[in-house]
Amino acid sequence: MATDQQESAKIEQLAHHNPDELEHAAGREREVLEGWVPELATEAEVREALEKAFDYRGDVTITRKDGSKIEGYLFDRRSGTSLADSFVRIIPTTEKTKVNVAYGDIAALAFSGRDTAAGKTFEAWVKKYWEKKSAGEKNIQIEPEKLD
Amino acid sequence: MAVPISQAWTVATYVLKQKLAGRKKYPLVLMLEPLFRCNLACAGCGKIQYPAHILKAELSPEDCFKAVEECGTPMVAIPGGEPLLHPKMPEIVAGLVARKKYVYMCTNALLLKEKLHLFKPSKYLSFSVHVDGQREHHDFSVCREGGYDIAMEGVAAAVAAGFRVTTNTTLFDGADPNSVRAHFDELMVAGVESMMVSPGYTYDKAPDQNHFLGRAKSRKMFRAILSNRKKSWRFNASPMFMEFLMGKKDLKCTPWGMPTFSIFGWQKPCYLLQDGYADSFKELMETVEWQNYGTESGNPRCANCMVHSGYEASGVNYTFGSIKGLLQTAKAMFSRYDDEGAQRILNDWKPAQHGPLVQIGTASAASAKGELQSVSGD
Ligand code: SF4
Repeated sequence: MATDQQESAKIEQLAHHNPDELEHAAGREREVLEGWVPELATEAEVREALEKAFDYRGDVTITRKDGSKIEGYLFDRRSGTSLADSFVRIIPTTEKTKVNVAYGDIAALAFSGRDTAAGKTFEAWVKKYWEKKSAGEKNIQIEPEKLD
Repeated sequence: MAVPISQAWTVATYVLKQKLAGRKKYPLVLMLEPLFRCNLACAGCGKIQYPAHILKAELSPEDCFKAVEECGTPMVAIPGGEPLLHPKMPEIVAGLVARKKYVYMCTNALLLKEKLHLFKPSKYLSFSVHVDGQREHHDFSVCREGGYDIAMEGVAAAVAAGFRVTTNTTLFDGADPNSVRAHFDELMVAGVESMMVSPGYTYDKAPDQNHFLGRAKSRKMFRAILSNRKKSWRFNASPMFMEFLMGKKDLKCTPWGMPTFSIFGWQKPCYLLQDGYADSFKELMETVEWQNYGTESGNPRCANCMVHSGYEASGVNYTFGSIKGLLQTAKAMFSRYDDEGAQRILNDWKPAQHGPLVQIGTASAASAKGELQSVSGD
């Protein structure tokens, strides 16, 4: 789920228009999060950063207060009343398990993996298509990424 | 009849049983996502953007069967990712068919022809082939030249082998209703059992964030497409949902109508939005604050949604909710929705110019104009 900042274009649009009367729906403001290491100085910052980590489509690395690290895909978060009863759920890069980490145990967070949702707009595809077409290429396509 | 009578009967008795049991919230179709990897990389898709270790993960047949039993729906759709990339997909499908579930295996059909021999025709199994319009429109939508021809070869092979084949068409801003109508004609000629059509959702993770239809334009486009219907067209959708798309009926979202299960668990709240995961179907139903979803909730993430996964169940509920609903549905099943205004919208519709893709818009518009005349004269 996105933060209000990420949804600002839609929120702004809806402040002025009834959704039933919209011809075009606003999309999402893109933030560059790859490589970001948030401050986590206050409880609000911790919550905001973990909400963004939940929304992020790359791996993150969490350093616990005991110094241990966990790197993986943060697929869920449960927000409780305090940092101790709020936690994130991670599928580590190297194991097929789901690991829980309490917000209160997190010393550092890094958006360490590549953002797999970034880039590749329809416009970029159209541009690439015509470049390839005029170069005489056939069977032009966006290839899914190789997994190995 | 767009679906076999046995399926319509199974669904009707399931819904009536839920109503008689006094259940307010019950699902209609389980959306089972056994994997996220795909052999296409469509610009409008927000489903496949994950790190490699997530794309390599998949549900086991046992995981799938457990989810199906937990949720109890009479119908199971298998989207993804591309299900035919799952090495155990034939086993999963066979297990669901053995459980007498009506299965819609959603596929881009790139691998359908070569994998067809791994499946057995059954009244319980339908290949739901994703085709986003006529050749050029589909190829551009899936970002792969030649994708349409391969998909239609798969359709032809499956029809010839005696399988039930349905299609699923998603429309984004820039879709040309005249071309969509010609596309329906082509699909019927290809021998598909029935067709489904839906506006695209504003996926946050879709690479393309500029081609999402607003509700007003969606309704105008669907009114143009679905009015003045040809007798030959068969649709695989609730008639009330289709009236909703055309702007003839107001429906509220049923976010629990098509729950989704994947390697992450039960997706909160719906197939389209990700707001966390529950570990059981029961937990999903009990912990989601359902009032926070649906267009009327004011949630900006739901604002322009008219997608079948949220509103098809609403259409079915409307049908079975009252005698009026049943009568309206019966009438809708035989209506061609004659509508002169819709015809004018079609005649005046200017195909979108996709920058340098003028050629595609022009070619489609020209051919569709010819086909349109035969549509209106039918
Ligand atoms: S309106 Fe759409 S996105 Fe929102 S809950 Fe319903 S189906 Fe999901």
